[in-house]
Amino acid sequence: MGSSNNPFSKQRNSEHIKETLVKLTFIVFTYLIIFAALGIFGKIIYEGAPVLWQKGWSFFTKKPQTLFVNQVEKGEGIEIPAQNFDGLLANNPDADKWLTNVTEFEKTTEFIKFDLLSGSRIGSGYLGELESLNADVYVLYTERDTDAAVGFQLQAEKKISMQQSDYVALTKADHKLLPAETPERTVNLSDFELTIAAGEYPIGKDAHDALVPTELVFQMRQTFADDEPDKINLTLIPHEQTITVSADIYYAAFDEEERGTLPVKSEQEVPVSRTFHDFTLAAGSYITKPEALSILGKYGIQHQHDPLKGSIVLNKNITGLIVPKDFWGILTQANPSLKTANQSTVTADTAYIRFDISKDTEILLDTEDRESIASANEATGKFVTTSEQTHSYSGGGVIGPIIGTGLLVIICMLVALFTGIAASIFLNEYARAGGFVKTIRLAMLNLAGVPSIVFGLFGLGLFVILAPCVTSTPKTSSAMMVPLVKLGSKPELRVCEQQHIYICEKSNLSSSELTTIATANGSKLVYDGWIWLSLQGWGTSILAGGFTLAMMVLPVIITSCEESLSAVPMGFREASLALGASKWQSIRTAVLPYAFPGILTASVLGITRVAGETAPIMFTAAVAEKSELPWEGLNSTGFDKFLDFLQSSAQALPYHIYTVAGRIPQSEYTQPMQYGSVLVFMLIVMSFAAISIWLRARVRNKIKW
Amino acid sequence: MNQQDSANIDPTATLSGQAVTAAPTEAPDAPLRQDPAHTEHLHAKSITENALEGKTMIKIEDLSFSYDKGKTNTLRNISLDIPEKQVTAFIGPSGCGKSTLIRCLNRMNDLVETSCITSGNIKIMGQDIHAKEVSAIELRKQVGMVFQKYNPFPKSIYDNVAYGLRIQGIKKKSVLDEAVERSLKNAALWDEVKDRLKDSALGLSGGQQQRLCIARTIAVRPKVILMDEPCSALDPIATAKVEELMLELRKDFTIVIVTHSMQQASRISDRTAFFYLGELIEYGSTTHIFTNPTAKQTEDYISGRFG
Repeated sequence: MGSSNNPFSKQRNSEHIKETLVKLTFIVFTYLIIFAALGIFGKIIYEGAPVLWQKGWSFFTKKPQTLFVNQVEKGEGIEIPAQNFDGLLANNPDADKWLTNVTEFEKTTEFIKFDLLSGSRIGSGYLGELESLNADVYVLYTERDTDAAVGFQLQAEKKISMQQSDYVALTKADHKLLPAETPERTVNLSDFELTIAAGEYPIGKDAHDALVPTELVFQMRQTFADDEPDKINLTLIPHEQTITVSADIYYAAFDEEERGTLPVKSEQEVPVSRTFHDFTLAAGSYITKPEALSILGKYGIQHQHDPLKGSIVLNKNITGLIVPKDFWGILTQANPSLKTANQSTVTADTAYIRFDISKDTEILLDTEDRESIASANEATGKFVTTSEQTHSYSGGGVIGPIIGTGLLVIICMLVALFTGIAASIFLNEYARAGGFVKTIRLAMLNLAGVPSIVFGLFGLGLFVILAPCVTSTPKTSSAMMVPLVKLGSKPELRVCEQQHIYICEKSNLSSSELTTIATANGSKLVYDGWIWLSLQGWGTSILAGGFTLAMMVLPVIITSCEESLSAVPMGFREASLALGASKWQSIRTAVLPYAFPGILTASVLGITRVAGETAPIMFTAAVAEKSELPWEGLNSTGFDKFLDFLQSSAQALPYHIYTVAGRIPQSEYTQPMQYGSVLVFMLIVMSFAAISIWLRARVRNKIKW
Repeated sequence: MNQQDSANIDPTATLSGQAVTAAPTEAPDAPLRQDPAHTEHLHAKSITENALEGKTMIKIEDLSFSYDKGKTNTLRNISLDIPEKQVTAFIGPSGCGKSTLIRCLNRMNDLVETSCITSGNIKIMGQDIHAKEVSAIELRKQVGMVFQKYNPFPKSIYDNVAYGLRIQGIKKKSVLDEAVERSLKNAALWDEVKDRLKDSALGLSGGQQQRLCIARTIAVRPKVILMDEPCSALDPIATAKVEELMLELRKDFTIVIVTHSMQQASRISDRTAFFYLGELIEYGSTTHIFTNPTAKQTEDYISGRFG
């Protein structure tokens, strides 16, 4: 044996095996991480890349779309605008199986160009449509005219059975409208006499809407939003009441079989007899008084007037309006007191594609494409859909979330960097070591460990509903209001109508009196000529979200800024001070420039973290569905527009992914969108990281010591 | 003594506020005009030979200094006068307080929050520099400092020299150009760097960097230059150049240098102060200190017999 000669011979074999085993374990765990990373990235790229490839740029440039899965009959000569044809192809990779005879052609559409003169009376619905057709037009009116004549059109003759009371009112308003023959008939019905006990009850939107015209006194705890038809809200019945309602209201609001109806203490059927007048209105155009139209509206006459509020009086000329020819006809017919000038016909050529569908098939269309194909073939009726399924968010498009996330990150980083750099400079350069600084550092460490959902709730409590605002129209729900100066400019009538502003003529009321009066009038905002400092919050807005995210990322930013500040050699500060620089001069010229690379890295790290957070923006900024980008649909101008923009909500990528992946009904069509969005998100975050590495290397090369 | 006091409180000599902007032309002469009497007086008391030719620039009186709010004194009862336009060297073993003293002279010790003067005062150009109305910023414009480890900013050579002027708000290119050239020439660096003024200062050799720091200091035209072991990080050749430079600079500036090298002190300084454990042991002309020291400790230290 050589072992006797070799002083370094291996001792025991088991030792060796143990060593190898330990080493192997370490290797396994290390590789486990790599496999996990590969698995995650691989899955996302494997699933997401084909989606991006198929959708192309439209995935980035479109707003989130609903996907329509249509069963379509075969047909010939179907037309679609050329730009939507690309979308059709992108959504239907199997199009070559049924798509034949594709030809391009130019379609000429006629438009009417005209000026609308001051003094015109126009119905609110028509004005709204006019504005949606002419993007840069927004009319601030100050007056409504309840007497202006209104028009409506009947495509076909209309049979009407009118209640006695309405009939009397209609005859009084405009007897010329009615035909000579209006036979009477009497019907026996039953009303319900109901007693409702005082208390709080959950009711649904349908019940609520049915209760509004009744005599019942009730008070809603929350209001119903239009996009939540199934929501149940609490209502307060302040005292016991007995009311009589007709059968339809009874079934809508009190029927106990239905969900979300009001329970009754006792009920009693009361037989009533009602008189009806039967008559027929012939097809054609009619011009009448608003009172008459208001009654006819109850019986299914379609119009876009608001007869009770009256027509809008234009007090300014609006020039260069352009509307399609068919809408021009409707507009002039329905608004007899419209004054127009400089009317001319313009034509526009649009590239269209005509194609045939060779067999019955399934076609996938997103919202925009579906709308345009439907309207393009409305007249010919060649595009026949036998059944249609919709899948929300499955049509692709992430521009809204991308922009929302971008804005949130920008606001957040502006706030966080200003605050963070200031705080870290104070802590590192000015503050004396002691209890105070220790406490601050401890607080920051704690803050860094707070779960992000807690920041979300904190942001909701502080920024969304309590942050201070300086406004001339404070919310009635404001926590505290302090009058500043009496300089408010009275909001335009239209703004008042839209935002439910109560105009208080007296300017000497206390804040509590003011809010009480406004609430009693059903208004959400109140105006009395003063500019108020109001603790009413910024609402669900990118501003609130940005601040919340900033609070969350501050500890990280401060800590890393402090580190980069203290990494700057003391010698620079001393040299600068010894040359006669003041403290701030030396920090500004001899410390901050050299701490900059570190601060840059910190901020980019912050950005990637902030961009990915879902919980803090859930309550403060993000909405699942929003058809407009944050700067769209703002009607104010100048600085007010900027403020409105900051106070608008937005979609955000992480929240969008959460919505697509978990909150909507899943189908084979939603899953690819989820991976596509995730891939886009990862690309964005990674490009941020790449930019930061590149920037840092660049700056580092320039500045080093 | 009364005579001196009245001289030192001379209001025209204040270092604070706007008065200093006029200082380069008028202030130095005003307080020093009365100095001969005072110098002689002090001279008679503490220094035996080699009467000072210069006027007193810095007058330290019974100074005690503490880094920890007065619990322990790092410097104890130090009194010495530093003459104008001469090189004064502070020598002594590590921890003897010579660096602390030099940092007191332009109030760099203010950066240490717990530091304080427990007794005595420092008067520069007749003004108590710790008086309330004295601004440390204006003081430091008059009393520049060069540090042990050369610390040019990671900027171009030009920007380094122009730094002090720029923070004073001077932006005019011609003024800066002139000042940069003058300072670099004064610092004997002009010929070496004149073709690469826009290059990073960190590309220079150690000795050049230290001379650049000196150029940066003299660009703001201080009255006094404090040097805290300026050659300790340099090789002998670079040291020789810096020393040469110092001998040149003493024509225009009052220089106070802290050094560990006895040879350096003997080569370049006119006067030498020996410190030990926070006390001034001996102060006199360099020849006197090195040839005929009065105190036993001084003799031991300069002959290398020290513990």
